[in-house]
Amino acid sequence: MSEDILLDIKRDYVLSRLRDGERIDGRRFDEYRPIEIHTNVISKAEGSALVKIGNTQVVVGIKLQPGEPFADTPDRGVLITNAELVPLASPTFEPGPPDENSVELARVVDRGIRESEAIDLTKLCIEEGSKVWIVFIDIHALDDDGNLMDASALAAIAALLTTTVPAERFGVGEDFPLPVRDLPVSVTSLIVNDHILIDPSRDEVSVGQYFMTITTDQDDNIVAMQKSGSYLLSEEKFYELIDVSIARAREIRQLLKDV
Amino acid sequence: MNEEKPKLIVDGKRLDGRSFDELRPIKIEAGILKRADGSCYIEMGKNKIVAAVYGPREVHPKHLQDPSKAVIRYRYNMAPFSVEERKRPGPDRRSIEISKVSKEALEPVIMKELFPRSGIDIFVEVLQADAGTRTACLNAASVALIDAGVAMRGIVTAVAVAKVDGQLVLDPMKEEDNYGEADVPFAFLIRSGKIESITLLQMDGRMTAEELKKALELAKKGAMEIYAVQRDAIMRKYRSEEEVE
Amino acid sequence: MRKLVIPGDLVATNPRVAGYGTYVEGGKVYAKILGLLDKTDTSVRIIPLKGKYIPSVGDIVIGIVREVTGNGWVVDIHSPYQAFLPLPEYPENKSRNLKVNEILDIGDAVIARVLNIDPKMKVTLTMKDKVCKPVRVGRIVAINPARIPRVIGKKGSMIRLLKAELGIQIIVGQNGLIWLNGDRRKVSIAEEAIYIIEAEAHTEGLTDRITVFIKSKKGELENERGETQANS
Repeated sequence: MSEDILLDIKRDYVLSRLRDGERIDGRRFDEYRPIEIHTNVISKAEGSALVKIGNTQVVVGIKLQPGEPFADTPDRGVLITNAELVPLASPTFEPGPPDENSVELARVVDRGIRESEAIDLTKLCIEEGSKVWIVFIDIHALDDDGNLMDASALAAIAALLTTTVPAERFGVGEDFPLPVRDLPVSVTSLIVNDHILIDPSRDEVSVGQYFMTITTDQDDNIVAMQKSGSYLLSEEKFYELIDVSIARAREIRQLLKDV
Repeated sequence: MNEEKPKLIVDGKRLDGRSFDELRPIKIEAGILKRADGSCYIEMGKNKIVAAVYGPREVHPKHLQDPSKAVIRYRYNMAPFSVEERKRPGPDRRSIEISKVSKEALEPVIMKELFPRSGIDIFVEVLQADAGTRTACLNAASVALIDAGVAMRGIVTAVAVAKVDGQLVLDPMKEEDNYGEADVPFAFLIRSGKIESITLLQMDGRMTAEELKKALELAKKGAMEIYAVQRDAIMRKYRSEEEVE
Repeated sequence: MRKLVIPGDLVATNPRVAGYGTYVEGGKVYAKILGLLDKTDTSVRIIPLKGKYIPSVGDIVIGIVREVTGNGWVVDIHSPYQAFLPLPEYPENKSRNLKVNEILDIGDAVIARVLNIDPKMKVTLTMKDKVCKPVRVGRIVAINPARIPRVIGKKGSMIRLLKAELGIQIIVGQNGLIWLNGDRRKVSIAEEAIYIIEAEAHTEGLTDRITVFIKSKKGELENERGETQANS
């Protein structure tokens, strides 16, 4: 496939620039590409956001509907996160049921939101034991130029922040804003030859899929982690990753404050 | 749709204030995705749609190749959040049918014979659906194909006409689509600013032959307006490339 | 001015002038691709702005070996069509007593010429040409194939400029891949310059801007190297 040949060619360039201590787009190693957050882009959804990180673009839409609670949490709402890596977004994505990459993407985003307890699920109970709100977070990738993970996580929390619970439409009371009480932010790095490249672009990933995603809450606690890719990670690098991820997440959280 | 049908035409105007032969606001942008070979974003009324084209590229698996021409794939897909009630992800019977007729609307216009054994993939994602997604998608796909540099006989432009409260209306919106008496989506091949032929035609509902003729004339008028917007989108994207000799 | 046209635009009424990027129907000539209209009294053609590389006999291309077979190599030439390089089309004096995969193996890059294309677009390459060789050193950069003529410049002027200013080797593949070889940092400067040419080729005074760009980058490089030597 012609996609491969471009990656083969980029790899040399990325590695050559790394030897000079540079990234191919001139960024610092700990620097994100420009981030844009646009909320309320889909009026048919209860909440939505389009996030761009460089050329990477993701839309997240939130839908809510009443449904049955899980047996072990009869008084809590249910969170369901789904990701579609539609073939529109990359020459390497194929139509069909979710593959391991889209499942991983959805699960890591889900974990950040769930474990930070960003949504107060106790406020999403309609009738204990029989009827609660189901929150669907649907991640729709549009353009994969690297780091769909952070773009998706950021779009998800931004969309949740703008979500209204459509109680009137379902005849169960008055509409109210979705109770969001934390701002989990995930930071993904590519680990190459002893370098940590924050927010790797697609061209940089040509050297290999050696990712680490660290998600932190607004008190700098770590709420989710995912080492993704077949590579060996040293303890030193791990500690370095934690520090840099916390620092970057704090900055990105400032962007969310304006949402 | 068992709710009571509202009055769709009041004082000679449509519910959204449009006259019978008026399009919804339309906005088109070409070349908005980095990874795709060609792409387009369109808003037609409340529809928000992204189209991408990949190819010509190799076809896998190999047995799907055609030794004499390119194989065209068209995938119409609705985002789960694009409609009021969350749509389950993945293709359903409706999107499979739309994908088929849309592909067939573009196939006779694409010069497939220039690219034997290859594949041209057209992917269309509906991010927000109102009415007339299939026609809006075709308008976007057509611009994305041109943006990808694919060889074509002309451009494909699509629009629907509906019959509501006994009146023919151009480019129906949601209520007109839900409660109207008939819906006729058209797509045309436009060449050098002239409508040359019909490439997509469907209908459901009830109309007289006379009405259908009028519907076609109304659709042609709408298509010419959309064509101007499609053309303008490409010009905006590439005008700066015009060379001074 | 070279006007922008889209598929279906009428570009001439005399079918005899129809050239690249056009088609004739009913005695009229129409554009079939997006591009710039290049029209004279005797010819009409469309200069493409986008699109994949479609091989043409005689083209120099750069590719990567994807498969080794008993009688040659399958080569990815960044096109909808893979190409085949038959063993007999590899220069004999360089391949004596070697197995096929010892001559060229999977992942090896080559500079080759398009020898033949059959009606089903089966593309055959040859390396029996003095420009052709396996690429063991240097770097390959990729650009939009439609922009290759701009990188070459009028009668090769742009390439000559890069070669002269940087003292590196450059071979341009018609398929959008360009081979650069020489001092690693100078190759990086050339790569950046090529991306600028690709993006801004249609603008005025490009040659001057590229000259300034290369000179300033070269200056930075020499300063840095001067400092390193002073420190060591």
